[in-house]
Amino acid sequence: MPSHPLRVAVVCSSNQNRSMEAHNILSKRGFDVRSFGTGSHVKLPGPSPDKPNVYDFKTTYEQMYNDLVRKDKELYTQNGILHMLDRNKRIKTKPERFQLCKDKFDLVVTCEERVYDQVLEDLNSREQETLQPVHVINVDIQDNHEEATLGAFLICELCQCIQHTDDMENEIDELVQEFEEKSNRPFLHTVCFY
Amino acid sequence: MELSSVEEGTPSVNITTSEKVVELLNQAALMPTDEKLTILKQVQELIINKDPSLLDNFLDEIIAFQTDKSIEVRKFVIGFIEEACKRDNELLVRLIANLNMLLKDESVNVVKKAILTLTQLYKVTLQWLVRVKTISDMQEACWNLVTQMTGDVLILLDSENDGVRTHAIKFTESLIITLSPRTAESDVPKQQEGGISLDRVPKDHSYIRYDTLCEEGKTALEKLLTFMIHPAISSINLTTALGSLATIARRRPMFMSKVVQAFETLHANLPPTLAKSQVSSVRKNLKLQLLAVLKHPCSLEFQGQISTLLLDLGMPQSEITRCTPTPREQRKRPRYEQYTEGKKVKIEPALIEDDEDKEEPAPIPVSKPVAVPVAQSAIDLTAEFLRPLLNPENVANLVLISMVYLPDVMPASFQATYTPVESAGTDAQIKHLARLMATQMTAAGIGPGLEQCKSRDDEGGREEEEDSDTKDHAVKHKIPSEMVGQAISVVGSYTGKPLSTEAPAVKKLPEPILPSAQTKMSGAGGRKKVFRLSDVVQPFSDSQIEVLTSKAVKRILLSEKAISQSGMSHVRVKLLSRLVTQFDGMMKGDVLEFILDDIRTRSDLAFSLLYQEYNTYLSQLPSGLLDSYDHCLYTLLSGLQEKPEQKDGLFTKLVLEAPIITESALEVIRRYCEDESRVYLGMTTLKELIIKRPSRQFQYLHVLLDLSSHEKEKVRTTALAFLKRMYEKDHLRDYIEKFALNYLQLLVHPNPPSLLFGADKDTEVAAPWTEEDVRQCLLLYLSLLPLNHRLVHELASVYTEAIADIKRSVLRAIEQPIRGMGMNSPELLLLVENCPKGAETLVTRCLHILTDKVAPSPELVERVRDLYHKRVADVRFLIPVINGLEKAEVIQALPKLIKLNPIVVKEVFNRLLGTQHSEGSSSVSPLTPGDLLIALHNIDSSKRDMRSIIKATNLCFAEKNVYTSEVLAVVMQQLMEQNPLPILLMRTVIQSLTMYPRLILFVMNILSRLIVKQVWKYPKVWEGFVKCCQRTKPQSFAVLLQLPSAQLESVFERCPEMRAPLLQHVHSFNPHQQAHIPASIVAVLEANKTPEPKPEEPAVEEETDQALDTLVVEEPVVRTPADPDIPSQQNLMITKVDEEPMEQEEADHIAQEKALREILQVELEKASETSHPDPDSAEEPMEETQPEPSDYQKSVKDPESSITEAEPGSDSEEVV
Repeated sequence: MPSHPLRVAVVCSSNQNRSMEAHNILSKRGFDVRSFGTGSHVKLPGPSPDKPNVYDFKTTYEQMYNDLVRKDKELYTQNGILHMLDRNKRIKTKPERFQLCKDKFDLVVTCEERVYDQVLEDLNSREQETLQPVHVINVDIQDNHEEATLGAFLICELCQCIQHTDDMENEIDELVQEFEEKSNRPFLHTVCFY
Repeated sequence: MELSSVEEGTPSVNITTSEKVVELLNQAALMPTDEKLTILKQVQELIINKDPSLLDNFLDEIIAFQTDKSIEVRKFVIGFIEEACKRDNELLVRLIANLNMLLKDESVNVVKKAILTLTQLYKVTLQWLVRVKTISDMQEACWNLVTQMTGDVLILLDSENDGVRTHAIKFTESLIITLSPRTAESDVPKQQEGGISLDRVPKDHSYIRYDTLCEEGKTALEKLLTFMIHPAISSINLTTALGSLATIARRRPMFMSKVVQAFETLHANLPPTLAKSQVSSVRKNLKLQLLAVLKHPCSLEFQGQISTLLLDLGMPQSEITRCTPTPREQRKRPRYEQYTEGKKVKIEPALIEDDEDKEEPAPIPVSKPVAVPVAQSAIDLTAEFLRPLLNPENVANLVLISMVYLPDVMPASFQATYTPVESAGTDAQIKHLARLMATQMTAAGIGPGLEQCKSRDDEGGREEEEDSDTKDHAVKHKIPSEMVGQAISVVGSYTGKPLSTEAPAVKKLPEPILPSAQTKMSGAGGRKKVFRLSDVVQPFSDSQIEVLTSKAVKRILLSEKAISQSGMSHVRVKLLSRLVTQFDGMMKGDVLEFILDDIRTRSDLAFSLLYQEYNTYLSQLPSGLLDSYDHCLYTLLSGLQEKPEQKDGLFTKLVLEAPIITESALEVIRRYCEDESRVYLGMTTLKELIIKRPSRQFQYLHVLLDLSSHEKEKVRTTALAFLKRMYEKDHLRDYIEKFALNYLQLLVHPNPPSLLFGADKDTEVAAPWTEEDVRQCLLLYLSLLPLNHRLVHELASVYTEAIADIKRSVLRAIEQPIRGMGMNSPELLLLVENCPKGAETLVTRCLHILTDKVAPSPELVERVRDLYHKRVADVRFLIPVINGLEKAEVIQALPKLIKLNPIVVKEVFNRLLGTQHSEGSSSVSPLTPGDLLIALHNIDSSKRDMRSIIKATNLCFAEKNVYTSEVLAVVMQQLMEQNPLPILLMRTVIQSLTMYPRLILFVMNILSRLIVKQVWKYPKVWEGFVKCCQRTKPQSFAVLLQLPSAQLESVFERCPEMRAPLLQHVHSFNPHQQAHIPASIVAVLEANKTPEPKPEEPAVEEETDQALDTLVVEEPVVRTPADPDIPSQQNLMITKVDEEPMEQEEADHIAQEKALREILQVELEKASETSHPDPDSAEEPMEETQPEPSDYQKSVKDPESSITEAEPGSDSEEVV
């Protein structure tokens, strides 16, 4: 769709790490991109696995950053959370929840199967009006900084390829298969309608 | 939509909206796409939302952008149409046609947008029209167009573009929902509460028919269901379709049964083209949609099937239960019962044990027992049929049988999705298994359920039955044959599963094998997308096509060996020949070249190709051209012709089996014939052609005829040999003859026509005839002549007109054929008989040829004689047949003959004497050699001059083999007995004596008898007599003594030197002997006492005496001791004889005579080696023999006395 920039949404659980990493890269590459989380809350690692830091989606990255600095600056500096939040706040003010966004996209990329399911469930539960299709693709990315970076590049490449197709809908199927082979990880792919 | 931007775009309040719109539209026309869009959106906002009154004014201006180059602009127009029509329904009438145009746009994105808009406008239109009670023509047309567009979009379900199909599916979904009644149980999206659906359509509407719409809706559903089970459906389409069906099920629960069944079928038969991850996606989607359906209150009846499916899809039972609607909703069931096909009674209690408690309070279904069995689908029936059969033994057997079909390696997808069967062997599991199998079997088109359905269908029934039936049928019939095969194998796989898991669990039985197995089958790529040829291929350029075809043909060519080993060469040959003849290009040449590389083994290909070419030609008749065929045949033949010889006769075979011999092919054949090493083979081929292709035989014959005058000897002779054979065939005869005669006629031209030199025009060339040219014209004719003697007359007539050079050549050339004709040929005889004027030489030549080696036949002789006597008195005619003439005739002709050219005379004599050829003896000459010589003597010398006669006799004497001493003796004898004595008698006697000295005694005898005949009365003869005596002394002394004294006196007068020796001789006699000598003689002897001769004389005399004695004593013929003198004398004589003609010959004969003389000279020299010729004594005996008239007078003096005195001599002769 050369004349029509691809409207992309990148979705992970908390709209912090994986979706923001991809958001960062995609926006630098000039995509019309937005990022979301699908969880009910925004969760960040805490001092131990059973004690995560939980915020609601109204909390800005800035606030989270300040909160964590206050809690244990050293810990959150060491595990990179602060660095991540710092980056995030320079992209947008606060995390967004996918289910609350009524904007329309051409492509929704999810970062894990659970998120994919939630996106589908949400999209299917909406009332269909315009019947405009939206393709949903899941790329499994582990929730750590390194994988997030790698995954973001993969998503970026995928988006670029899709952007460059003459007829996205006719070719996306094949393209996804190619990427599946190339990246050697299974992609889930479906289509929903607004 | 773009409200905000519009607000920003109108800062000035002063200008009216209309002015603003005009300004914007003016801008838009000149702007690039992006800005144009922005501006157009502003316009849309202004005229639709802000001031709809302007809509009508600017409609055309906006719509004009539908032909814009930009896809986005065109899409905008579509969006505008939608918004405008929604705002003012009346505009539909004007705009729907534009939408229809855009629906057929070349850009898929525009088409997709148009489909989306149509989805909306369909509902808008229907709603609008339903409200109107009476419909105008315009509205009617509008609705018709909308209906037509609906059909077009449904057709787009089979579009090649994935996205277009996706949109078509969504359109279909919407259509189905619109065209079916909303019920109380229907899920209704909030926004569409006021939307149109079938139940809002009045059944008495003037134009729109409720029933029709209802049927259209059902048809659309069938289409969608059919579409979904297409084996090659793409994953996105499948996902879309699943979602649509789920939506349909929820919003129109009456279709839920069909939807659930479709899900079941799909679950068991996932399209084989899906890749592994696509299978996961689809399964996930299926699960999601099933849950959505399950959540609908009306799903109660299908909860069993749905939850089984969900279990198979890996959803925990607890979650299924959580999503199952509460019993509260069951109460509504009776109300929609009529739209469903109630099978819950049978299924539910058994399948969903968890829900049993919920089922119990539902006794109502029992109240409709009739509907239940009737409504059972084929799957239900088959499942029920199968269920009792699935005992452990049968299942085990099924598993064992199907083990064979299991893949060697467990497919990855199976491994990924496999979950152990939890409740193996339980009733529920068996039931589930039966249903799974039934689904497979129904999909494969087998099973009792299907059959029952079919028969039920035949009987007819209630609407619902038909509904379900048609669906079943649709499902069944739409399965392509390859799908059946797959489905069957799947059945095997499924039954195999329980064994491999040893039936411990039921839940996860079937699904994964199908996709995985099929994944393997369809290739390593694993990528599954609906394959559309047009997506991946582009037309080749012409040159590429050329190269590729050429390569393809070459591969077929080079596969020769491999294919021949497989025994399918004939297929290859056929394939090649078809290919090559159907398509032009390089490959024709390639194939021909290939054939010629090894024509022997590839002849079948050659023939096949040739026939194919001919076939093509025939099929294009009458306008077809032979060019291609001609080229093929020509190339093959030329190739064969240029190759070193083959012995298998392929060339001949090719020529004879070719359907048509073209001009150029004939040219090759001609060249082949001109090759000296192959001329025979070539002409044999040509001959076969002539005989076996009657339709054009003259064309072929002409080639052969042309070759008969070819410059190469071998070609020529072979051609002639063939032509001679052809000539025997009646139908060819005329043509050949005409050709030959045409050539013959050329000879009448003073110069050779250019025809002979290859040019076609009959112009004459200045060059003179050469012998070769003449032969060229004659060859064919002459070789035909022996076969058809009648032709000889043509030659004669041409001959008379021809110039001398040609005549000479002709005479030289005809020998062979004339001889071949033989002298018995009636035509030849006729020719002789008629002998055209001017053809005398020809006839003579013929006669000569005929009689050259054979004696002339009486008929021939008769003709010649006739000719000679009655028409042309040329004695030369007689020569060839001279041996066939009567003796008298020969003698009569002899005087004329000897006057001819000496060479001719010699030939005549040769013929007469039989000395010409070795076999000459076979012809019997009418004259013996003796007769001839005698006849010569008897020629009247007054008629023929003596010289000719002498020459003729000389010729006779030259034949020593013929004129032996005996023959000469007989001749002399006979001549002597004639009266009067021939003039040449004594010449002959002397000549004979010279040749044969031993004849001396016989000559003495002759002399004695001449005395008796008073030889002195013939002056010439007498002269010769004396000469002879002179030469033969001393033997002649005895003869002389017999002369009368007067004659003796005459002798001495002529030869005074004789007297003394004779006297001496007499003196040597004894007295007794002397007494016998008459006194008169003695007186003559002694009358003139001349001085004695030399003293040595007596010795000679004695010798002579002795010789005479011996002669007398011995018996008649000759054994005289060789006299040393005689040879020299003889030589002398010959020399004289020889030289004599020289001086007297006519000047023009000198050359010929010279030759003769040379020959004789050689003989002379031979002789002089033994003896010593004395050139000084060379006298001219013939000169002397020439009688001087005066001499003649003298010698006749006293004949009486000499006769009387000869008496004793004659006595003694008698003694001898």
